Amino acid sequence: MSAAATATDVPLPARKKRFNRNEVLAALIFVLPFVVVYAVLFIYPTLQMIWLSFHKAPLIGPGTFIGFDNYVKLFKDKLFGVAFWNTVYFVLLTVVPATLTALAIAVGVNRLKGWMQSLILACFFIPYILPVSVVFRVWGWMFDSQFGILQPLIALVAGDNVPVFRTLPLFMPTVAFITVWWTIGFNILLFIAGLRNISPEIYEAAALDGTSKWRQFTRITWPLIWPVTVLVLTIQLIAQFKIFDQVYLFGNGGRSDATMGLVQLIYRSAFQKNNGGYGATVAVVLFLIIVVFSVLQFQMLRARGEK
Amino acid sequence: MADIRLVNVSKHFGQVRVIENVSMTIGSGEFMVFLGPSGCGKSTLLRMIAGLEDIDGGEIHIGDRRVDELPPAERGVAMVFQNYALYPHMTVRENMSFGLQNIRTPKQEIAKRVAAAAKTLELEHLIDRKPGQLSGGQRQRVAIGRAIVRDPKAFLFDEPLSNLDAGLRARTRIEFAQLHQRLKTTMIFVTHDQIEAMTLADRIVVMNNRKIEQIGTPMEIYSRPASRFVAAFVGSPSMNFLPVQQLSDRDGKAVIRLPDNSEILTGIASSRLPSDGQVTFGIRPESVKVSANGAVSGKADVVERLGERTLAYVRLADNSVVIAEDEGQSRINVGDQVKLDFDGASSHLFDSRDVAYSAG
Repeated sequence: MSAAATATDVPLPARKKRFNRNEVLAALIFVLPFVVVYAVLFIYPTLQMIWLSFHKAPLIGPGTFIGFDNYVKLFKDKLFGVAFWNTVYFVLLTVVPATLTALAIAVGVNRLKGWMQSLILACFFIPYILPVSVVFRVWGWMFDSQFGILQPLIALVAGDNVPVFRTLPLFMPTVAFITVWWTIGFNILLFIAGLRNISPEIYEAAALDGTSKWRQFTRITWPLIWPVTVLVLTIQLIAQFKIFDQVYLFGNGGRSDATMGLVQLIYRSAFQKNNGGYGATVAVVLFLIIVVFSVLQFQMLRARGEK
Repeated sequence: MADIRLVNVSKHFGQVRVIENVSMTIGSGEFMVFLGPSGCGKSTLLRMIAGLEDIDGGEIHIGDRRVDELPPAERGVAMVFQNYALYPHMTVRENMSFGLQNIRTPKQEIAKRVAAAAKTLELEHLIDRKPGQLSGGQRQRVAIGRAIVRDPKAFLFDEPLSNLDAGLRARTRIEFAQLHQRLKTTMIFVTHDQIEAMTLADRIVVMNNRKIEQIGTPMEIYSRPASRFVAAFVGSPSMNFLPVQQLSDRDGKAVIRLPDNSEILTGIASSRLPSDGQVTFGIRPESVKVSANGAVSGKADVVERLGERTLAYVRLADNSVVIAEDEGQSRINVGDQVKLDFDGASSHLFDSRDVAYSAG
């Protein structure tokens, strides 16, 4: 706020002088490719999507303007409700557990030294480089209801083999677990980068101050990597709100409406039913949800930072 | 307040020995400075006393307790780090209170001590700021404040002035001296700056290559260095060294011949010197005066005018260079032929193992 105020307080000629014409030109040339690509591939389609959401229209070709009808329809649509709650459920099952687990693993890995640290870190990171199809195959086999390697364990608890992906209450938690396993490497990496940023001298000062391990974590380590925590949470949140691949694959191509997520609903409306207008409407709502959560998380970062 | 005793302390990192059999006693209330070039082991030694590095051999005692097996917090010492190591997310008040909270000091007591320290260090108006909002000098004072509130038996300072600019460094140096006079607590101060060492120390430990070269008062170190290293490291500009032949003896004192064949009578008893006669002659610039009556002559290569005195880098006939002193208003110029008068009585000799011999 104060920065904006001072910027406008500076008399215009004085500000103009600071920029030389060639520099401005060079700067423009450097940013132009990005701005063009961003405008063509992001801004334009986004505006088109919002515009499309006010139409009854197929995916390609002209449609009729119907105002907010799609939005009214959306809030009455039971399937939207199912998709919304499934998505929120999935986000709850993944985001916070993935963040906390990544933090715990990162703190552990950070205490290791030399090649041991690299090895363990690589082990946690490898799943992240797998394509979703491989993840699907690996875990599909492991959970296979007849010869899955995990079934003896499941039988021990449940008394019998369980077709996990065809048991509704187990479906989302299992897919969430697999997603956490798959994506946690990157979060661990972010946390480790944050942890390495903390000067060892601070821990030495803490040791001289007689800080217990737990207090050291809660009063020093975590506050200092709080910005990384918020970053990880935000990245996770955006990624998991867009859940599609895993649920679609494990759900046998989305045959069951009960496991549908919001992106899957967009896919079905727009591409399978060729109802572009309605698909766009769901997409706009998802877009708004993500914007709202991202802003909330950004506020969280600030609130903690200003304390 | 307590004395600190080190007995045969050793330390190695893998194959590399960083401290070898160091023993010393730092008296209760003494201001001891560890002085040496970087990599000499002085900071490691300090960190071993603090408990931040384990020792591989020997014992460390603080007061009447052996502490080398104790964790840092139980040794009763407080440390100020080179980069201050303040907790960046805590305010000045929280930084100073944190250690006391850890040992469950009552809140009122913490508030009292923090207020007292803030007052002493003139930090009262900054008490609710975070380190990021403070200048280097202010952070430095917070780091000292954090040490003071714990009321330690000894303060350990690891090059605390090296991050300050020249003016602030000189001022803070005086504050350290005043702090010691007021608290009268045992203090160990690590530095590579000989001026800090000379001005602050009750005694100086000069270290080089993992070993102690000499322990003594600043003036002992300056006027009776134990080795060539100490002689060269302490004093600015550095002592002049010339390879010489020990010629003869006059009234029991050694006479040496400079490379240009001029002879100088030293104040050093010949009987103490090694018999091989191979010695290095050392003399501080202030004992070499530019003088019309001087016995040695040479050409002024460089003239440095420092205001109260002038330094002349004089090249002798054999090409060796001697730094000599002249008065502030010296009229010598670069290229002039000058005569030098050596005060042999205050000179030093060093044998082939760099052991020093001084007059008296």
